[in-house]
Amino acid sequence: MFIHNFKYILKALFKNKMLIFWTFAFPIILGTFFNMAFSDIEKNEMLDIIDIAVVNNNEFKDSVIFTEIFKNLSDKNNDKRIFNTKYVNEEEAKNLLEDDKISGYLIIENSPKVVVTTSGINETILKYTTEEVSQYEEIIKNLTNKIASEEISTNSEYLNNLDELNNKIYSRITKLINENNVNIKNISSNNLSYTMIEFYTLIAMTCLYGGILSMSALNCNLANQSKKGCRVQMSPTSKKIIVFSSVLASYLTQLVGLILLFIYTIFVLKVDYGNNLPMITLLSLVGSLAGLSLGIFISSVFKTSENTKTGIILAFTMFGCFLSGMMGITMKYIVDKNIPILNKINPANMITDGFYSLYYYDTLDRFYFNIISLLIFSALLISISINSLRRQKYDSI
Amino acid sequence: MIVFKTFLKILNKNKFIIIMYTAILIFFGGMNMSTNDKSTNFVTSKPDVLIINNDEDIGITKNLIDYIKSNSNIIDIKNDEDAINDALFYRDVNYIIYIPTNFRSYFLENKNPQIEIKTTGDYQASLAEMMLERYLKVANIYNSILDNEDDIIESINNTLSKEVKAEITSKLDTDSLSKVTLFYNFSNYSILAGCVYVICLILSSFKDEKIRKRTIISSTNYKKINRNLLISNSLFALILWFFYVILSLVLLGDIMFSIHGLICIINSFIFTICALTLAFLLANLINSKDAINGIVNVVALGSSFLCGAFVPMEWLPDSVIKIAHFLPSYWYIKTNELLKTMEIFNFDTMKPIIINMAVIILFSIGFIIITNYFSRKKQKFA
Amino acid sequence: MKKIIEVKNLTKEYKNLKAVDNLSFEVYQGEILGLLGPNGSGKSTTINSILSLLNFSNGSIKIFGSEMNPDSYEIKKNIGVVFQDVALFEELTAYENIDYFCGLYIKDKKIRQKYIEDAIELVGLNDFKKFYPKQLSGGLLRRLNIACGIAHKPKLIFLDEPTVAVDPQSRNNILDGIKKLRDNGATIIYTTHYMEEVEILCNRVIIIDKGKVLASGTLDELKALSLIEEKISIEVNDLDLKYIEEIKQFRNVDEVVYDDNHLIISYEKGKNNIIKLIDYLKDKNITYNNLYVMRPTLNDVFLSLTGKELRD
Repeated sequence: MFIHNFKYILKALFKNKMLIFWTFAFPIILGTFFNMAFSDIEKNEMLDIIDIAVVNNNEFKDSVIFTEIFKNLSDKNNDKRIFNTKYVNEEEAKNLLEDDKISGYLIIENSPKVVVTTSGINETILKYTTEEVSQYEEIIKNLTNKIASEEISTNSEYLNNLDELNNKIYSRITKLINENNVNIKNISSNNLSYTMIEFYTLIAMTCLYGGILSMSALNCNLANQSKKGCRVQMSPTSKKIIVFSSVLASYLTQLVGLILLFIYTIFVLKVDYGNNLPMITLLSLVGSLAGLSLGIFISSVFKTSENTKTGIILAFTMFGCFLSGMMGITMKYIVDKNIPILNKINPANMITDGFYSLYYYDTLDRFYFNIISLLIFSALLISISINSLRRQKYDSI
Repeated sequence: MIVFKTFLKILNKNKFIIIMYTAILIFFGGMNMSTNDKSTNFVTSKPDVLIINNDEDIGITKNLIDYIKSNSNIIDIKNDEDAINDALFYRDVNYIIYIPTNFRSYFLENKNPQIEIKTTGDYQASLAEMMLERYLKVANIYNSILDNEDDIIESINNTLSKEVKAEITSKLDTDSLSKVTLFYNFSNYSILAGCVYVICLILSSFKDEKIRKRTIISSTNYKKINRNLLISNSLFALILWFFYVILSLVLLGDIMFSIHGLICIINSFIFTICALTLAFLLANLINSKDAINGIVNVVALGSSFLCGAFVPMEWLPDSVIKIAHFLPSYWYIKTNELLKTMEIFNFDTMKPIIINMAVIILFSIGFIIITNYFSRKKQKFA
Repeated sequence: MKKIIEVKNLTKEYKNLKAVDNLSFEVYQGEILGLLGPNGSGKSTTINSILSLLNFSNGSIKIFGSEMNPDSYEIKKNIGVVFQDVALFEELTAYENIDYFCGLYIKDKKIRQKYIEDAIELVGLNDFKKFYPKQLSGGLLRRLNIACGIAHKPKLIFLDEPTVAVDPQSRNNILDGIKKLRDNGATIIYTTHYMEEVEILCNRVIIIDKGKVLASGTLDELKALSLIEEKISIEVNDLDLKYIEEIKQFRNVDEVVYDDNHLIISYEKGKNNIIKLIDYLKDKNITYNNLYVMRPTLNDVFLSLTGKELRD
């Protein structure tokens, strides 16, 4: 009887287009959206070329280092090009800025100054670059005397040829500047990429959406929920066997959906979930269990149409995913920091956070905390449901 | 009137799910706004930095620390890897600098000692990184020429004190304006999801075999029924939009009473109409009630992700932006983004906004035409 | 005769409403018992209580001589239920649906296969085995619904309005099937709105309303309870009102209705009613045709007992 019921419930679940859409297709579609939206956030930032203007007055023309560096940074053949520079007079620059044609402009009057409309990313880059150039100018000024005396002491010929001396000094300093021997090593556990958390929430969503499967499977077992349930309950098969095999069938279906999502995201979208395969598997299993118990709970405790129950599970899951950062990671930080209890009881966040901590932390403490939270969540829902699951006679059907 | 009554009846029957859905969407909008992502607005803000100094606090080491201190907020966290990781995780700190033992002596010996860092990888962090890199670079340059530590420090400080003035011409309250944009961008999701979901639900109930037969044979002709349905549903869409505007007035305050706010409201109104017509089209194409939820989520989430309602538009890859041109959401969000930096309102500056709105209206008209085409076709074969 | 079901003092209350009120009756082996009652009379509640699906406040229920409980699997093995609403898996074919429900009773695959074929044969679904419920018409769906309930060859079958909204062909098929089931030895409890079905099928009828038994017995016994002995219908054109008034004064006349040129006279009892009427018509020189006498139907019995028209 166990296998008989298991087999048919499995078949019915797999053939239900709506269920399969939510648990199999929708996560994959959403994952594709994520991938499209976030695929090259990082790359894109590098490639952005900023439109700027430089006021081409005498002060600017006189400053070799400013003209050189800005020419270099605007050179189409330079890999590190960051600016598209127009050389104009001040009036034109103002107009360009007003019409939003440029992010800002540089003007040198006594000291260099950048003029921008707002304080966005592009404006900041312009300001920092200008600052750096003017600091190089300062370095050259500071070091000229020192280097000059050094050079002259080794080769007194320079005294007769100041131009050559200047060139020598300038080239030596620019060489130093270009050497870029800053020795910084990034030892962050892992790069905390924006995209990763999106995919973690996606996995969380898929786990919880699995609840629709167990809800639907149980609905046709319970006499107070459906006529099919009355029929099943009239059979001489014990309720325990029926319920258990149905739940198992829905769990299996859920896992198949999850595996498909993993395959798709890993091999097609190239998402990296880290290397700890046993722990990833454990989290997926426990996360799915949370979804499963959510479905059992909704199915047995509420008495309303299957459509509404689906709606409740979808809305609950979406809400949970929203809080754990699906529509913007900042939300997760805000909630974690300000209303931590909300995310402590949010199963979507437990799953997301579990993946996150697995990827990000060296120790597994936080990971286990999430696993245990998920188990408590599941146990709680199931124990609430168990009362109505075990009931065999109803006050009304 | 009968149509309207039936409409209310169906609304009443589904009130639980509709109220839940609407409440969640509006709550999303409010919550999202209050997070106020500051990462796009950072010139004035200082990164939060933690310095872990394993060297003696003297000489060049002290100078480095002083420099970082004067340009960032120093965060004090106990030196424990877990605590540090947690702090990074929650963005309590953006950047952590580990100064190694013997940093000073190795530096002065020109050994270029390595500095380890941890970063959150966001813009605040890159600000801190720029600062550190700049210091080390300048220090290295002076170090290679000068011998005396005091001279080096003095030169470094001299050089780094040279800051470039940045003049911000705009008198706009960019902070509030980007909040407005954030809020109305997110409403793209809420309005789309809300309109499409509720209207599809109601129309599919209308299409329900029995009711359809009854309305077809009733003396009211189908055009009139369609018109009445349109009016009833428009009413719902209007209420949803109204809720949203009220919420924005409550959350955003004064800024909403400026021209910026007004254009945002008008823009969202036009977009609501578009969402309404799209909902009608989808309701006509969807045959099964079960499919509504799916379509709603794919349409609403899809156009929100692809058009920059959740992720700033400038972060989206070009290929995605190109696809987004075919979605009304793109034109809606583009206007919101334009408004963020718009200072002068004249015909020239308003032109792109007017074009965006016109495109949304064109989309709406297109949806209506397609809806009518399918609706007539179905009526014939019904 | 052997008692298959024994219901004693069954009472079921919903909040303030007594759905079933101290109900007692018995069902005997091999009979088709008709359970009649208007909507909301407590038929389905009674059946669900017997099946141990519902809690009831009071009373005892014995099936096959032993107490019925939710885990009386030995009893359940021999019960088949066809509920009012179609209860099928949309995702499974007709054959698979029957196999699923039958499989909850019968483990042996070979026997099951044979039983399923028999059930399909019985309801005439041979050409539709591979069809999904969505592809079946209302009548076929009902037949499939029945097949799912009886495929395991139960000894006791509950049929709760199995012919609601079914075309005449399917209805005949269903009624024939039910007779066959009885002929094969099953005891059947049949609830319905349709009086004709009861008259065709049932050996015995129980009429309930407001959760109480109003009457029970064979068809003839019940008809004897009727206040009306006979009805006479005559087609008369443009009958004068004064004649109607005069006819009303006849002995034994209970009610006179004149509508659409048809005069229907109900008599409480008595003999020679028809002769007296013909004499009167001749006497008054009234031309008539199509005169006939109708015996009371179950509907009349029902009406005189419950005072309500049967509603769907």
